[in-house]
Amino acid sequence: MLSEDEIPIPSSPRDTISALSCEGLTRAFQGVRAVNGATFEVPNGQITALIGPNGAGKTTVVNILSGSMTSDAGRVCIGSTDVTNWPSHRIARLGLMRTFQLSRELGGLTVLENLLVAPLHQAGESLRNVFLHPAKVKIQERENAERALGILDIYGLYKLRDLRASDLSGGQKKLLEISRAVMASPTILLLDEPMAGVNPALIDQIGGYILDLKANGVTVLMIEHNLKVVEKICDYVIVLAEGRTLATGRLSELRENKDVVQAYLGEVINAGTVR
Amino acid sequence: MSGIWYYIFTLVFFLFDYFILAMGLNIQYGETGVLNFAYIGFVAIGAYVTGAVSLPSSKGTGQHYILGLNLPFPVNLLLGGLASSALAVIVAFIALRRLRTDYLAMVLISLSLVLYDICNNFVPLFNGADGLYNVPEPFAGALKLTTNSFIPFFAAVTGVIALIMWFFMSRIMRSPQGRTFRAIRDDEVVAAALGKDVFRHKLRSMLIGSFYAGIGGGLIIQFSGSFNPTAWLPGETFVVFAVIIVGGVGNNIGLLVGSLLVETLLVHLPAFLPAIPGHPGLIEYIDAALIGILLMVMLWFRPQGAVPERPRLTASFGLESRSATDQNAEFNEAVVETTPAPAVIGASQNGRDLC
Repeated sequence: MLSEDEIPIPSSPRDTISALSCEGLTRAFQGVRAVNGATFEVPNGQITALIGPNGAGKTTVVNILSGSMTSDAGRVCIGSTDVTNWPSHRIARLGLMRTFQLSRELGGLTVLENLLVAPLHQAGESLRNVFLHPAKVKIQERENAERALGILDIYGLYKLRDLRASDLSGGQKKLLEISRAVMASPTILLLDEPMAGVNPALIDQIGGYILDLKANGVTVLMIEHNLKVVEKICDYVIVLAEGRTLATGRLSELRENKDVVQAYLGEVINAGTVR
Repeated sequence: MSGIWYYIFTLVFFLFDYFILAMGLNIQYGETGVLNFAYIGFVAIGAYVTGAVSLPSSKGTGQHYILGLNLPFPVNLLLGGLASSALAVIVAFIALRRLRTDYLAMVLISLSLVLYDICNNFVPLFNGADGLYNVPEPFAGALKLTTNSFIPFFAAVTGVIALIMWFFMSRIMRSPQGRTFRAIRDDEVVAAALGKDVFRHKLRSMLIGSFYAGIGGGLIIQFSGSFNPTAWLPGETFVVFAVIIVGGVGNNIGLLVGSLLVETLLVHLPAFLPAIPGHPGLIEYIDAALIGILLMVMLWFRPQGAVPERPRLTASFGLESRSATDQNAEFNEAVVETTPAPAVIGASQNGRDLC
């Protein structure tokens, strides 16, 4: 695995093929435009942060990108495939997985079962296989269970594997969401505030896991307010304000951008969130 | 056969039949989260179609109905189940594609009322308010069964069918398909984000559950020989809901317990009690009130039902298991820690100081 320093960081997404891109995304709620022409590219195999003030439309953009919400106008592409307004299950099948701002565990299932739901194209999801090819289903189930236990081990949830997911703490639910997405073998992972509401020690861990994902070739787009985290692990930053893409680049470059400082960074710095 | 045995075997029949009905509703509501308030309509279609294909042509019978194919058991029963499943496809495309939870429930109640009105008033379909009657008793001719011997015989047949359907349902519930149903029940947005085609899985759940409803309905009309709209007032759906809520959503054993407590002991047993002098029908009202009270008590004190849903543990995958005590002790530690593990997605210890 490459160390952080060995991984080449592009100065702009144009240096590499974009894994995910959107152009002119627009979405209004009862006349209020939450997203108003957002345009950006997410570089392949990199960690990109999506930042901006509250109400900038970050979560709406992620919802549109993942298919959880449709856009009123604009275009979304995964690689060269136009996936605009595809339903989320079709987008997921192209390898794009996501987590949610407020953890959404499958509360009635155990921690292990939460992960076992994730793999795509499971033989046991066909009734024909359940009744006519039970051995095939059983073998795949066992393989998936072993892999899931391995992932739970990495994410520190192994000991909790047989508990109902609804019984986990907030931080554990965050980890469960990420590990569940990982279980689906994503090529692109959208993380909606993965560090929100978790203790500092866990922030370190989650940051480490995200870097691991990058090292394994996963493209990550994460909404994050903690600029120290962004500075440490993100290669590239997209700033949204009032539903538009205000600026893109490295965080160090964006600190010099007056518009960004005025719209977001100044606000955050003055509030004492970073530095 | 003495009177008491007649009652007992009738109760046994309804125990098994409602067990089948409860399994059907459970896979829709308990497993997949589809609040099917039109369930009794699917039972009715199963009953009517089974009856109509069992009966000979309607000419000269004094009844008006479609089909009249004179088909034997169990072909007639299977056709009843399939007819309910076919109705489920129509209902799914009307209601399931765009609606969720309470809106879906309201549309399904409306559909149930529409279906009821059609069957009750459109006489050429299933003989209107009189319903179907003189439906042949399965095997009665071949085995020379009398009315008395038919009842225990058919209760036993129903028991065997319930057992077979339990086997199939258990296989589905324990499979990845069952897990996907439960994932959709818990949060369909998450399930869709994980690549699950929610509509397709809900449709599948509706098809399976409706087939069970149709079979249950088909058994009723063959047991009693008749079926008319008073047997399936839309409110009857809530009796099946009571069975699964009292017994335990998501657990087949619980459904059998719920069927025994609600359907056998509360609905049908009092029907055989002598009427209270001067108050005809009072027992039925008390009966309905008791079901409502039981439902409230269960939802208040034991919402998981008499026999709760059992989570699938690691041991069931043929992998190592540990006792629940160990897990509780570990859970109490509640410290998330990073543990070196096999290289599943890269196992480096990247706990950097980010704060």
